[in-house]
Amino acid sequence: MLELAIGIILGCCALGAGTAMIAGIGPGIGEGNAVAKACEAIGRQPESRGAVTTTMLMGCAVAETTGLYALVIAILLIFVAPGHLVNILMNTLGR
Amino acid sequence: MSINRKRVVIILNHVDAAVKRETLYIAAAVGIMSALMQSVFLIARHWDYTVLLGNLLSAAAVIANFFLMGLTVQKSLDKDEKDAATAVKLSQQLRLLMMFVVVALGAALNCFNLWAVIIPLFFPRVAVALRPRFGGKTGE
Repeated sequence: MLELAIGIILGCCALGAGTAMIAGIGPGIGEGNAVAKACEAIGRQPESRGAVTTTMLMGCAVAETTGLYALVIAILLIFVAPGHLVNILMNTLGR
Repeated sequence: MSINRKRVVIILNHVDAAVKRETLYIAAAVGIMSALMQSVFLIARHWDYTVLLGNLLSAAAVIANFFLMGLTVQKSLDKDEKDAATAVKLSQQLRLLMMFVVVALGAALNCFNLWAVIIPLFFPRVAVALRPRFGGKTGE
């Protein structure tokens, strides 16, 4: 029974980490759209290339942070949460 | 060895001035914030060599991540819209994978403090938010 409980904890942590990483797709799509629009803008006004590049780099850095949040949650769920949850389970069972 | 150095010099010469400038700004900001984080660990009496190693690993990874993003953006601007979007999406996924490997290393190996690996990941975001105060543009 204890093995089953630990298995459920590990499985749920892995599922949670996988689900969290879905958020990693969003920044890629957003950055792709931003760069596509920047290409369009530079095509219309080639002299604005430097300004567009700078602004877009900063925008991409901001967009990328959401992916990093997901990454951190996934890492914590994989490496930190299982140990804590199993400890809580053991303390609850008095072992 | 000298051939590799020449290749690196050639690649760096082709990097856009905006990419170099912003990467230098991010590197400086990450350095300053890393020093602040080390001081906080020191004051809280939690400092040991694992904090320093974790911080170095993570800081190097975030600066490399930003520089690679800049290179991708620079190259994408010469392509057509559809190719540019695809290239940036692919680059973002690969860079996210690189960051996953770095953070997983930091979490799995005992020679790295996990929190000292995780906290510097958010320094570029703070640096971008502070950018207007230093006379630069913001992406927001």
